[in-house]
Amino acid sequence: MDKILKIGWLFPNTLNLHGDRGNILAMKAEGNRRGYRVEVYQITLDSQNFNPMDYDFLFCAPGEMVHFPEIIRFLTLYKKALIAFIENRPLLVTGTSIGLFADKIARSDGYIIPGLNILKIKCTENNAVYGDDLFFDCHYNGKEMSIIGSQIQMMNLEILEETPFGYLKYGYGNTGSTKQEGVINGKGIFTNTLGPLLVCNPWLTEEILNLIDLNKGISNWQIKRDNTLEEQSLKTKVDFIKNKKTALTNTTMGE
Amino acid sequence: MKFYFALWYAKILGWVINRVSKDRGTNLPGEKALKIDPSFVKNFKNLDYGNVIFITGTNGKSTTTNLIAHILKENGKKIISNIEGANLLGGIATILAKESTFTGKLKADYFVFETDERYLPLIYAQLPAENMLITNLQKDQVQRNGDPDFIYRKLASFINKGMTLFLNNEEPRSKSFECMDDHSVYYGVQKHQESFIKGTDYPTLACPECHHDIQFDYYNTDNVGPFHCGSCGNASEKNPDYEITDINFNEKTFRLRDVVFDMPYDLPFMFYNYAGALAISQELCGISPVEAAKSFKNFKNIGGRFEELKFKEKTIKYTRIKQENPDTLQSALNVIAFDPQEKMVAFGLNVVEDFTPYYTNTFYAYDCDFKPLVDSKVERYLCFSEHASYDTANRLLYEGVSREAITIMDSDDITKIFEIIDEVKSNNIYLITKLATFENMKKFIEGGKSNG
Repeated sequence: MDKILKIGWLFPNTLNLHGDRGNILAMKAEGNRRGYRVEVYQITLDSQNFNPMDYDFLFCAPGEMVHFPEIIRFLTLYKKALIAFIENRPLLVTGTSIGLFADKIARSDGYIIPGLNILKIKCTENNAVYGDDLFFDCHYNGKEMSIIGSQIQMMNLEILEETPFGYLKYGYGNTGSTKQEGVINGKGIFTNTLGPLLVCNPWLTEEILNLIDLNKGISNWQIKRDNTLEEQSLKTKVDFIKNKKTALTNTTMGE
Repeated sequence: MKFYFALWYAKILGWVINRVSKDRGTNLPGEKALKIDPSFVKNFKNLDYGNVIFITGTNGKSTTTNLIAHILKENGKKIISNIEGANLLGGIATILAKESTFTGKLKADYFVFETDERYLPLIYAQLPAENMLITNLQKDQVQRNGDPDFIYRKLASFINKGMTLFLNNEEPRSKSFECMDDHSVYYGVQKHQESFIKGTDYPTLACPECHHDIQFDYYNTDNVGPFHCGSCGNASEKNPDYEITDINFNEKTFRLRDVVFDMPYDLPFMFYNYAGALAISQELCGISPVEAAKSFKNFKNIGGRFEELKFKEKTIKYTRIKQENPDTLQSALNVIAFDPQEKMVAFGLNVVEDFTPYYTNTFYAYDCDFKPLVDSKVERYLCFSEHASYDTANRLLYEGVSREAITIMDSDDITKIFEIIDEVKSNNIYLITKLATFENMKKFIEGGKSNG
């Protein structure tokens, strides 16, 4: 019987900013390497009878906040199912879309968008955009790892009663004033790391797949992936970060 | 009195800078004048705002402005325009100071200004143009702009019922401004032989009206083409007011309303610039397509994105892209993919160095469809640059390119780039990288080192 890996891609057209489909490519490639037939389902605002538990992995890319009220209206119907999903299954939410899971998002013009209230965090849209590299340590599925990526921060994310996903070595992270990066809740990853996060950090992709294997009762895939290229990429980017000019004071790698 | 001091200072400074270098001084005199008189631009005389045209949007501003200026001049109109490309308030202040009398009087039939979309509210506050052409609103300079809605809100903050908007019929965000103005004129492009579709796993965008999914029938250039929303019915016009048709790549011609035009550049993203310029010419300036057609015969674009270098027997075809802008990268990839000859493709995606902090973002490459390129005859890929070469190579690997077909070089060493180019069999070389690297390569060749 075929091993099937089902990926639910939440609102790919509505939430689409920073080459985020790279994460789907990475999941497909790693799933295929492990012998899965990978099926990707696009969940849209017109989807009927969405059930998170039909999927092994859910991905929600960042988007323009102007679309958030419609997304939240849709997802509110599935709030309990989403909470149940992240107890054991991997969800990846990146960038501004973390705000969907907050109690509310305060926009810079004073408008308040009520959120799903799944995460105990405070989200406030910034008046100015901040873009930079991002480098942090984190744990996922019991494995410690370093993550490299880019961040385009349009809102501050203040943790009220959650655990940070990682701790910054360099970058703006949640607020630019602490070492906290993102949030982890159950198996749900909420990170400011944008774009092809799972391409650039295949060690995280492997752990997500290890978790999926575990959830399916399949023993972990033993053949190691060759991550040489990504390790070289990480090294050169870390070298760049170490030597670059920055105004950030929350981390110490830069000048 | 403040205005006069500012004006005279700007004129003298502009004159001095111009004596030193003709290429400089498009911003500084205006910036200094604005320091002396913050309302400087507002105070010029004889400025009829009904004859002022802003050209704005993510891509195509310069070409459209250049072309409008050219058509108008060729048809005997006196125009004032910032065709050198200084598109902030300081640039506009500089050109107005230069073109005015010592008492601030202006004399022109039309004022055509390329305007930076981010700073347009500031410009509009001093120069309330009644006409504006929007080329497109795309992902661009995310470190500065975040997302397209950031720019959308900037434009929406001042567009009003007194304005006439010239809107790209086939770009959903631009077209959606139609509900905010007094009169919208739509321009578009008919399907042509380089129109394309993308796989369903390439996202489109949200409908600006209802937030559901926009679907494109096909693309004439990246993220621009006839579209519709399946939820609310928002769609491009079936018959836009000004539509470029019958695009013939072999004969290098197109039509507008049965008038045949010479096509100065057969690059798909420029077709919308042609359509927009013709819409402005006829609608606002009364220049008919027949009259405008004559000026297409001798149009030369200033600061274009394509250039060729000769290196030994090889032709290096350089395409300048805007980093962080997937649409310009996609256009470049499409141009290469449509070349049926065997080729080498050198990618020098690089650290983004617009302002501090510089950063290593290449994620826009994942919005682009590399498959047509990979399916065209590529002998070898070169991925170079100190900090982004591995990520660029990885993008190609995810598109199915074999590791053996890619040379990775984690430096910007010009000598090595030429060595690798020299090693391939093909004489047909495509180069995508930042302008500074290309300029260094040009100097290398001009310095005679290419004979080595």
